[in-house]
Amino acid sequence: MGDLTRVTIDFDTSHLIFPTLIACVLGLLGLAVLIRDRARIAATVPYWRGLFAAMDKVRFLGALVLTLLYFSLMVPVGNIWPNTGMGFLLCSIPYLLATGLLFMHERPLRQVLPLLIVAVFGPVFVWWLFTYPLFLSLP
Amino acid sequence: MLEIITPLFLSLIVGGTLVGIIFGAIPGMTATMAVAVCLPLTYSLGLENGLALLLGLYVGGISGGLVPAILLGIPGTPSSITTTFDGYPMAQRGEGEKALRIGIVSSFVGGIISLIVLWLFAPTLADFAIKFSYVEKFLIIFFAMTVMAALSSDMLMGVFSGVLGVFVSLIGTYDISNGGNGELRLIPPGTEYWLESGFSLLPVLIGLFGLAAILEQAEIGVPKGHSAKDLQVGPKSTFSFAIIARNTFNLIRSSLIGTFVGILPGVGGSAASIIAYTNAKTFSKTPENFGKGEPAGIVASESGNNGLTGGALVPLLSLGIPGDSTTALLIGAFTLQGIQVGPLFIGNNPVTWDAMIVAMLIANVAMFVMMYFAIRYFALVVTIPKHILFPVILMMCVIGAYTINYGIMFDVWTLLIFGVFGWLAGKIGIEIAPFIIGFILGPSAEVYFVKSLESFGDLTIFFTKSWIAVVLWLLIVGSVAGSVLMARKQRRMSE
Repeated sequence: MGDLTRVTIDFDTSHLIFPTLIACVLGLLGLAVLIRDRARIAATVPYWRGLFAAMDKVRFLGALVLTLLYFSLMVPVGNIWPNTGMGFLLCSIPYLLATGLLFMHERPLRQVLPLLIVAVFGPVFVWWLFTYPLFLSLP
Repeated sequence: MLEIITPLFLSLIVGGTLVGIIFGAIPGMTATMAVAVCLPLTYSLGLENGLALLLGLYVGGISGGLVPAILLGIPGTPSSITTTFDGYPMAQRGEGEKALRIGIVSSFVGGIISLIVLWLFAPTLADFAIKFSYVEKFLIIFFAMTVMAALSSDMLMGVFSGVLGVFVSLIGTYDISNGGNGELRLIPPGTEYWLESGFSLLPVLIGLFGLAAILEQAEIGVPKGHSAKDLQVGPKSTFSFAIIARNTFNLIRSSLIGTFVGILPGVGGSAASIIAYTNAKTFSKTPENFGKGEPAGIVASESGNNGLTGGALVPLLSLGIPGDSTTALLIGAFTLQGIQVGPLFIGNNPVTWDAMIVAMLIANVAMFVMMYFAIRYFALVVTIPKHILFPVILMMCVIGAYTINYGIMFDVWTLLIFGVFGWLAGKIGIEIAPFIIGFILGPSAEVYFVKSLESFGDLTIFFTKSWIAVVLWLLIVGSVAGSVLMARKQRRMSE
């Protein structure tokens, strides 16, 4: 019994011990979930089809696409004026405006105007706050 | 003590509480989101001032949820769900303001009672935990994970989510500063440059609690805001403290239940308020009135969820284990300042500990004063249009993720990855609270486990090291057995 429980840790491979153990436990748990929820898992395709049908596709996918664009453009735009935070500022203004318009239900000028003001002054304020008083870098 | 109470410190608490109430009062936004979004601001504020802001947000965020719960029948935060049961019927019969004031007073009392428990209990528990070796520390984490899984809505998925969180936290280098060998693991080829240090905690948290929540709202079409006409505040109120006096026992019991639930790792405010509400109904002489506008229901729900605030800080500050998702975010504030929370925290940082207690006290008082006397104005918060708020929050999430590690763009992508994961998790049954607590505790669990084996070279050490280890094993077995029995009982009742 004493030999069975004895463990020698090789320092060079010690980084693999815990991840391997956790991966095994995770695998077993995954198997248990698979067995218990087999009916639910079998109905995955109809479930996602239903979910997709009920989803507000324009707002959800639109938000994702706009966010992807926002993240992708920030660094290239920032590289034009390095270390100024301009990438953040110039990308945030259209992003806020576009996302706000996407999330709006009706778009009369009376409702768009406050959004426009926030979309311009919000990023400008944050850019000023992080660049000057807080001295934190922005893309 | 007095030197920490500066005008800035006070303004941050009051400002944080105000912003927290606003976040809590808007359905779809939570206290956790408020803390996640404002976390990066604490970087340049210093630890005490940063914590003042975050604790104000926490107390305000939990309390603000009662406003839409009562006036619209929609819980502002998940922890206010039981407030809708009696608050909304009261509002419908023209007693909105009265219901709000009952909720505000109960929230205040719940917050203060939990603060007293925190003040008395955390240092004692920390003093005790200082004696723990790696073995007991590992078992404490193991116990925390089993309790958290046992109290999940689905135990198997709760365990799976927690272990998945641990697995994801192990991605990257086995840290030399923790006694590791500095080797990489679990990294797909080609991603070594980005994942060398694994996923940063804060972008993960901001993604899970900020972006994911907005994606969920976008999925359902970002529901239109409510107009002021929808709010049923009612005539100038007939609230009297006699209502609270009649519910003194209920108030204290519910506050203590909330505090106890807070101490359990990974169990959120919704569980606190549901258990407190169920108890109040069980012990009531008129249980048939619950759900029809019974003030005792609001008292139980709101004192229960605010009782959580101090309770959830007990395991965080004494053991380094967060009591709920919001306190998990507070770990981020400590990380930003290079301070590790755990048994040594209170002893080594007495000023910070005092600052936290004072900040919690002032936040509760500020919440009470602001909400009690200006509740009609706070009610209007629910009318703020989401199409303006959400883009601003998204921008704040990006700033938070980017600045947390002094400008790393991969952290912004981490935010997106975990934002989408957080949205997906809700669909496939992965529970976020166990996942995030597993993610936070995973690296420590690894160090304690491997170092225990390196030191003693025998697996039996986890059972034989000390009487504390034996007690912890009994607690672990007890929590698993208890949850299995409860699940069986529930299944039998539903059949």
